[in-house]
Amino acid sequence: MGKLEIKTEKNGDKLNLTLVGTIDEDIDFNQHSLSGVKEIDLHLSGVKSINSCGIREWIKWMGGSSAEVLRWHDCPKPIVDQINMVDGFLPSTGKVLSFFVPYYNDDAGSEKSVLFRYGTEFTDSEVKPPETVKDEDGNEMEMDVIESKYFKFIKK
Amino acid sequence: MNRRGLSLRYKILFLLTAIPAVALAAYLVLAMRVFESDKIAYVFDATSNMSGTLASQIKTQLNSVLIGAKPLFQDYLSNTNEQGRRSFSARGEELFQEDSQIDAIVVYRRESNGEIQTRAALEKTPGLYLEALGSSQATLAQEINEAIRSGRSIRSLGKDDRVLITERVGSDSRMAIFAIITRLSETAEMFRTSISQRLYLIDQTGTVIFAPREFQDANLKVAVPLSFLKDPSKKFVQGAETITDDKGEVLLASYSKVGFGDLVVVSTVAREKALSAVGILLRKSLIFFVILLCSVVIVSLLASGRLTNALSSLFVATKKVSEGDFNVHVDVKSQDEVGALADNFNLMAAEVSRLLDQTAEKARMESELQTAKTVQETLFPESHSHLGGLEISGFYEPASECGGDWWHYCQVGDQTFLWIGDATGHGAPAALITSAAKSASAIIENMQVGPAAALALLNKSICAVSKGRLMMTFFIASFDQKTKVLTYANASHEAPFLMKPSAGPLKKKSLLPLNEVGGPRLGQDRETVYEEAKVQLEPGDMVFFYTDGIPDIRSPENEEWGERQFVKAMIEAHQDFPTAESSVARFVETFQAFRQGSQLVDDVTFFVVKNQDSEAGS
Repeated sequence: MGKLEIKTEKNGDKLNLTLVGTIDEDIDFNQHSLSGVKEIDLHLSGVKSINSCGIREWIKWMGGSSAEVLRWHDCPKPIVDQINMVDGFLPSTGKVLSFFVPYYNDDAGSEKSVLFRYGTEFTDSEVKPPETVKDEDGNEMEMDVIESKYFKFIKK
Repeated sequence: MNRRGLSLRYKILFLLTAIPAVALAAYLVLAMRVFESDKIAYVFDATSNMSGTLASQIKTQLNSVLIGAKPLFQDYLSNTNEQGRRSFSARGEELFQEDSQIDAIVVYRRESNGEIQTRAALEKTPGLYLEALGSSQATLAQEINEAIRSGRSIRSLGKDDRVLITERVGSDSRMAIFAIITRLSETAEMFRTSISQRLYLIDQTGTVIFAPREFQDANLKVAVPLSFLKDPSKKFVQGAETITDDKGEVLLASYSKVGFGDLVVVSTVAREKALSAVGILLRKSLIFFVILLCSVVIVSLLASGRLTNALSSLFVATKKVSEGDFNVHVDVKSQDEVGALADNFNLMAAEVSRLLDQTAEKARMESELQTAKTVQETLFPESHSHLGGLEISGFYEPASECGGDWWHYCQVGDQTFLWIGDATGHGAPAALITSAAKSASAIIENMQVGPAAALALLNKSICAVSKGRLMMTFFIASFDQKTKVLTYANASHEAPFLMKPSAGPLKKKSLLPLNEVGGPRLGQDRETVYEEAKVQLEPGDMVFFYTDGIPDIRSPENEEWGERQFVKAMIEAHQDFPTAESSVARFVETFQAFRQGSQLVDDVTFFVVKNQDSEAGS
């Protein structure tokens, strides 16, 4: 078993992909062709990390897609960082429908990832974070990202 | 060969011979004991049979003499002569002459005064009786008294095969004592000439009647001290015992009562002679064992030779290995454990040889990498500089000998160019790309183009070199010394952070990422056109350029430093907007404290520039 597991569900022209693991130079996306489908839903919450070699393979894989609609769900921070930094990581047809934003409380040492959903916590032009995010003990948490950098992709 | 102690071959030889030798010796001792016991039992059985048979024969012979004498007894007792005294009749004399067994017969009577008187005598030859008695006449009275007491006595006359039988007939006033001289020639010869064993005919006091010719004693008691001779009261019919004679010789003796008077036949065999067969068997067995041991030694020598030859080959081979010669091959044909050992040794030697070659090759490659590292270090600028109104200070540490990160600065006219890039992966391949980037930059910086055009040209260069297999993220900025405007273009690189003292105390939210523009990585698409963005720098403004290896720094416990700690360290290092050199030193100190010498996961590169206008203005 490789470092990345890809679960595929094809339903007519629709393809559901669930990725779990690490995306690096060992990944072989050729076994999971994206051609021949019109809609693709990518579920990425299980992606732990991605390195520069993995980015190269990812961009080639995404470039092979002919899908008219490419929806990205539950993007973790490593994916959002690459969307913001690497031009072409998110294809032009791709749209992020939800992504995680890390929060933390330095005093309590608590951490939490909050899912931001399209239409609720963000739109095509702005981000509307929850007014307060609290940990299990009720401690107020602050966002663990540099907002101007992390939400950059929304305003692209 | 440098061996210690006894050779393995001789140890094996010793084992293979010692074990059968000890086993054979033990068997021999045991077998000899059993055989000896059995032989002694056999000899006792044979001599007992012999003495018993001989006793029966003598008894028969003597009884035959008495049967022949009885008509003479009756004749004497029933006949009276002219004087009115008992005497042999003419008929009696005639019977005597006809009897071939009796040489003489003399009649004695004990008178009332106890005196022994001769009453009658018949002799085949006149004077024969007295001649036969010879010196025994002195003990004749004892014989007669013994016959009166026990009814019968018999003794040898010493000279030849004649014996004197004294027989009491009747009792009280009618009692007569008949002394008969008869010959037991065959019997006497048998006792005298026995070969395998010595035969004695004795009475119960040990007095010898017949004995082997060489035996000269009159009594057997001293020469052969049999138990019944020591204890006359002992009752026995037949017996056997082991005794030592007067010469110290051990004898196997058996004896049987004759049943005529108190005669006893004694048979003795020297134990040594009786067991001579044991000695022969022992000698033959020893010869056989010696032959067997010699065979074992020869077979052992051959077998141990095969084994030790193989081991010697292995020994020589291991010695060569210990001297550093791994090109050895042990040729052992055997299919046993030694053969398997030799095969494994050959495999091991081959593997060690291969590993040595591999190690040498690795050393060569490491040497080349070290050279590459030295060459690559020349690609980097001085870590601290003041250039075109900027103070520049940087840090670079590759994750391995060669890194895929590169940073650079240069001045072209009024423009100070700042370059930072990160090749795909790290190590030698990435280092080669950075080398290409450096070469290209040396040309580009003289072309007096802006950051976007510089990125585009650099992209073409990387595309040509890597052919899509390797890519680089890159960020180029140019600082105009006159206008204090920082123009930048980005090829998917980490956006540098601008920190402005005018924004108040430095916080996370006041970090300004220079991410207004971005484009594909270098090497991805040859025709990429990059955009530029501008930002006005104020006096004291600082910009932190970095690669993505910084958040990946790990502690000895493999804990990731992470973006939060990275940002926190960056804010702390720039909190009071110190010199670029100080901020770099602070930042390095922080992450090195976390890292504690752990191996880097990715190359770490960063540099800080500070607009020195504040100092200049002040």
